[in-house]
Amino acid sequence: MTLLSAQKISYSINDKKLFHGLSFNVQNGEALHVKGSNGSGKSTLLRILLGITPPSKGKIERSNPDLKISYLGHKNAIKNYLTPAQNLELLFNESELGIALKWLRELDLSSVQEELTSNLSFGQKKKLALIRVLAKPQELIVLDEPFVGLDQDASQILNNFLVNQLSNQVSLIFTSHIHPDVECKVLDLSNNSA
Amino acid sequence: MITAFIHKFSSPKSFVVLTAKLYPYFICIGLCLISLGWIWGLLFAPEDAVQGNSYRIIFLHVPSVIYAELIYFFMAVCALMHLVWRVKLAAYLIKSAAPIGAMITFIGLFSGSIWGIPTWGTWWQWDARITSTLILFIMYLGILTLHGSFSNLEKADRLMSILVVIGVINIPIIKKSVDWWSTLHQPASISVSSGSSIDPSMLYPLLISVIGLGFVLISLGILSSRSYIYTREKNKKWVSEYV
Amino acid sequence: MLRLISIESFKLFRKLKSWLGPLLILVLVLVAFPLSIDISQYDLEKFYFSIIVVSLLMTAFVATEGMFEEDFEDGSLEQEFLIEKDFYKLALCKIIVYVLLIGVPIAFIGSIFSFANGVAIGSFPKVFLLLSLSNLLLFNLFAFGNSLSINKGAMLGVLSSLPLALPIIILLGRAIRSVQFGDGFSEMIALMAGVGLIVSALMPLIISAALKTHID
Repeated sequence: MTLLSAQKISYSINDKKLFHGLSFNVQNGEALHVKGSNGSGKSTLLRILLGITPPSKGKIERSNPDLKISYLGHKNAIKNYLTPAQNLELLFNESELGIALKWLRELDLSSVQEELTSNLSFGQKKKLALIRVLAKPQELIVLDEPFVGLDQDASQILNNFLVNQLSNQVSLIFTSHIHPDVECKVLDLSNNSA
Repeated sequence: MITAFIHKFSSPKSFVVLTAKLYPYFICIGLCLISLGWIWGLLFAPEDAVQGNSYRIIFLHVPSVIYAELIYFFMAVCALMHLVWRVKLAAYLIKSAAPIGAMITFIGLFSGSIWGIPTWGTWWQWDARITSTLILFIMYLGILTLHGSFSNLEKADRLMSILVVIGVINIPIIKKSVDWWSTLHQPASISVSSGSSIDPSMLYPLLISVIGLGFVLISLGILSSRSYIYTREKNKKWVSEYV
Repeated sequence: MLRLISIESFKLFRKLKSWLGPLLILVLVLVAFPLSIDISQYDLEKFYFSIIVVSLLMTAFVATEGMFEEDFEDGSLEQEFLIEKDFYKLALCKIIVYVLLIGVPIAFIGSIFSFANGVAIGSFPKVFLLLSLSNLLLFNLFAFGNSLSINKGAMLGVLSSLPLALPIIILLGRAIRSVQFGDGFSEMIALMAGVGLIVSALMPLIISAALKTHID
């Protein structure tokens, strides 16, 4: 079943075209890898698919208007003045918190659990932000450069998680310069600049 | 239906084409009228019994404060059109009208101050009208600064329109409250002479300069919006074809 | 709603400088002002209220600065948008939390200082109510100013929202005189409460539109 389909979407900023006339579908349990050089509009395309940014032309159709999406972009959406544990408390309710804390241990963050997040390294912050995606099962996962800053172990964990989710009919849309170990369709924006 | 209609007549292109024909007439009419009004007012109109010759500044002061507000209302109408029907031209018009509005408001305040020295003995008085005009001036500056601070111009257009609309809701409130406040503190405040008590020999040149300034401002607005449209739409095909 | 309120109050509590700062500034101004003038020459009681009103305006501005900035910068706004689809609830909850945690304490301190300076102690609740209501209005307006300028600094915020705040200051000045002279107070309170309710219901709508434009 088609979860999400883009129909001839174009986007331009200050009348400068980023891409135009893109059409594609994402089926349930399918992965889409958005490729392209820097500044080719990968992140913008993801934001359009999420419904955050309206496309200049064309439209996005979703099978279900209340589609549950988990998203992690360039911005981590974690609070620097709180500890990792407190950050998770903000994100999850009591029943979900147990799973989130389990991921915290899995990702090797329990030693810094009570420190201020501002003291954490870039990779540690990224791992903390990833828990938002890992601990809450959704229908669509959208990731913008998820592997940047992750160490070998964490990349492996994320990769396994994504493979697992795809087999559970969860769809995945991501951008990455590192090709992960998942079977996916590829959408290349480089050939598309007008 | 209505959206299609508005979009047809509000494309930047048709605006540019239409105004190219109109604005030479506007500027001629405006300059003729305003020189007629000012020559008449400054040289031939009789001296005021109380204020002597200093009253003659009304030929500049009154038209400018009238347009200080009119321009804001024009911008508010444009802002609504931009927010409701996404008319791009409306945003361009706001952006090019705001500096003119700020300028004319400043002229109004400044000429009022100059007039205040011989008549009231002070160049500034916390009077209701002056205060609300000052606030209007600050609002113009706010709108311009807001638009200038964003690199994504479409965002800037929309945020500016929101501010303009909120501002126009607030103008009557400000006027009312400032009246209220100033009558409280200085019940015997000096009021600017009202139009009805003015002698016809002064009223006609005043009316002529009001209309003349209107035409001058419209043609200024046309000029500045045309150049602004060119900068904003410089990548569009019609601009290179037209210019 | 409850989720957002608890999140926002938790966050605000943790940001010590955001909620304690404005209170300290208020105290500082209200203490420093009498020290800076010659009390034997001027009748302080006459205009001390104006100082309270002006410092209320200032502290409300300082308190709301950066109200949305942090959430915008770290991407929380986008995550919130994916959950709620708009920002009405977020703006409403934020304003409620800020008014309760900062606005009401400011009003409390302001009213303590006011009766230390010549207002009868009996009118303390009146002054407190008045200052709280005007803080509700001011916080709404400055939240609007902030949603327009988010990370573009204080100058833009002042330019865009100060003209809107002036009627409230005038209203407050008028209301305070009604406390001092003891006439027409209940009408004043009714007017301010009515305006406060309307503004609190509508302002989040406008703020939501502005925030949506920012994350586009």
